[in-house]
Amino acid sequence: MGTTGSVDRRSLLKAAGASLATLGLTAAGCGSGSGSGGGTVTIRYAWWGADDRAKKINQTIALFEKKYPKIKVKTDFQPYADFWTKFQTQASGGNPPDVFQNAIGFLRKYNDKHVLLDLNAQVKAGNLSMDGFRAGLDAFGEVDGKLLGIPVGSNSMSLVIDKDAYRRAGITPKLGWTWDDYYAGLKKIHDGQHIAGDTGPMGIMYVYDLVLRQAGKAFFTEKDLGFTEADLTEWWNKGFEGVKSGIYADPKKVEQIKPKAGLSDGLSAGEFTWDNFSVRYTAEGKGNYGLAPIPSTDGKTTGQYLGSLMLSGSARTKHPKEVAQFINFMVHEPAVAKIMGYDRGVPSTTAQFDAFKPSDTVAQGISAYETQIATAGVLQTITPHPAGADTCEAAFLRIANDVSLGTSSVDKGVKQFFSEAKTALGT
Amino acid sequence: MTHIQDAAPERLVKSSGAQDGPGPLAVPAALKRRGRRENLAGLLFLSPWVVGLLLLTAGPMLASLYLAFTDYNLFDTPKWIGLQNFTDMFGDPRWQKSVRVTLQYVVIGTPLKLLLALGVALLLNQNRRGQAFYRAAFYAPSLIGASVSIAIVWRSLFSDDAVVDRAQQLFGMEAGGWISNPDMKIYSLVLLTVWQFGAPMVIFLAGLKQVPNELYEAAEVDGAGTWRRFWNITLPMISPVLFFNLLLETIHSFQVFGSAYILGGQGSSCGPADSVLVYTCYLYDQGFANGRMGFASAMAWLLLITVGLVTAVLFWSQKRWVHYEEGAR
Repeated sequence: MGTTGSVDRRSLLKAAGASLATLGLTAAGCGSGSGSGGGTVTIRYAWWGADDRAKKINQTIALFEKKYPKIKVKTDFQPYADFWTKFQTQASGGNPPDVFQNAIGFLRKYNDKHVLLDLNAQVKAGNLSMDGFRAGLDAFGEVDGKLLGIPVGSNSMSLVIDKDAYRRAGITPKLGWTWDDYYAGLKKIHDGQHIAGDTGPMGIMYVYDLVLRQAGKAFFTEKDLGFTEADLTEWWNKGFEGVKSGIYADPKKVEQIKPKAGLSDGLSAGEFTWDNFSVRYTAEGKGNYGLAPIPSTDGKTTGQYLGSLMLSGSARTKHPKEVAQFINFMVHEPAVAKIMGYDRGVPSTTAQFDAFKPSDTVAQGISAYETQIATAGVLQTITPHPAGADTCEAAFLRIANDVSLGTSSVDKGVKQFFSEAKTALGT
Repeated sequence: MTHIQDAAPERLVKSSGAQDGPGPLAVPAALKRRGRRENLAGLLFLSPWVVGLLLLTAGPMLASLYLAFTDYNLFDTPKWIGLQNFTDMFGDPRWQKSVRVTLQYVVIGTPLKLLLALGVALLLNQNRRGQAFYRAAFYAPSLIGASVSIAIVWRSLFSDDAVVDRAQQLFGMEAGGWISNPDMKIYSLVLLTVWQFGAPMVIFLAGLKQVPNELYEAAEVDGAGTWRRFWNITLPMISPVLFFNLLLETIHSFQVFGSAYILGGQGSSCGPADSVLVYTCYLYDQGFANGRMGFASAMAWLLLITVGLVTAVLFWSQKRWVHYEEGAR
């Protein structure tokens, strides 16, 4: 520039105009994407999951758009951890999706930040029906009188086992069996079959929660942790002993085979997980898998409750009515259940529960399992977790892993967890 | 690299500004107008960059300096807490761990990478057939090395029972995959950076080409051997290039993020046992997963200051070991 040609005013203006136009376009592209044009409303819907869930959800959205031609749904999904990182950034920037998948650990957190839409008004307006939910699920998404999440499918903690390994060891887990029975069983399996009895429960927050519930406590109170350092020391000591004695799988090997599960890789004969996750084992491994009841302390109480993924709306949405209609369709429409199956748990409304009758044994097992615990009367209710619970859960898993690998002592790990939890919960 | 890019437009502004100043000779009015018009054009063309610098770099940097002294969770108004983020940091065992991991990575990775780059550059400096091919081949990993896909490939190479593990077994080492081993994982990360030695290698090669042949010939006449020639001629002659490479690679290493994040298995926060929890990984975890943006800002500023200090020390040390030719400095 400079020495040879001069820049005339016209080309200068052109260049300036072009760059302004580019800026404008970029700005438009950054917009929220939810808007209305020509009577059509667009809402953004985000969830966590993998491709198979996305395929099913897209089919249900197609059904919805057919029934509500004036509402368009824009979708977005990531794996669990990435989903929440992105969500937090979007929500803090005032631009969360209009409707999104939610879980119990995030209700209070985002209610405190005024991110969640109170759906009570939409229920009153007749856009969303809270009738026909199974086993008290309608109250699952309530916090301080606000309706913040609508359950889409129920699940409960369970023990997934390799049925053949258990049979060979002569163990038949029954409702009401105790932790002592469970530990004795693991030892039998380990001694007789040279595999670990269990992948190892010490880092699974939801399992420890059940252990605490059996003792009349819980992992979380409304604002804080519901247990002491001494409680956790006992649990992790027991866990670390299990790792050393071999009744739990070698944590290094478990790490190596990720994302495959220890049970489906044949490292162990069982592991605790949500009942609707049990689908993965049959897909991943060769064993004959089934669901066993949660061991109890007193021969009766398992501490279990029906959990659920939920659909929530954004408090900043410009289209609360359409959001409510969307959620209503997704939880009540029988055709949706036929597509989704048990992907997000056993459908939460009776209409959807009756619409999908599983034909494969795994899904039948899940349905039978939830019916069994419901009729046995072991189900309790759960208080929504305090804000910061998600950080506590991640810390619990990570530090338990350090302890089981032996890179941190139990005492040091417990101290570290309580210190991190204090920061996360703001106590 | 960014330093160079950032500096260039500034020079542009200055030089075009200088044209405009009152010169010792009277400038014809028409020429003056033209100069001014060109200035305007220059500034206008520059403006997207200036706007970008102010809005996307300088603004957020200043904001983060303020946030470093606050408790800020992304949602509520930042609360001034003075130096507490910094005192919290020093008492946080995970932060300490991240500092240890980062230092391990910088102190082992950077010299190894430079050594390899120099070694290969020396080989490629010889006159052999097909040198151009070898140069391209050795540079190739650096082109793709920083990508996510390579980190994923690396992850599978070092997994249990994968290529590296099998090779170890051939030599009777039953160590298992490095990815799952908290003691070995950092070395797989170090190897990933060492493997990307292409950029410093090319710079070394350019430096080697500058060394006058007469020096070697004279030394040979005096009976100096290969090692002697390298130590007394090559190394001093390329020391400015070595300094440049050392500076660049050290700064780079402190900022490693992508490869550690992928190798760490994303969601699991650079584990197991925080084995590849480099500084920026922990910063990201605290800021974006745990919503402690004030703490993360404090961490970022401490990193900036540390890298600045290390750079200053390197510049100070060059008096002792970097030889500039007369007038070249």
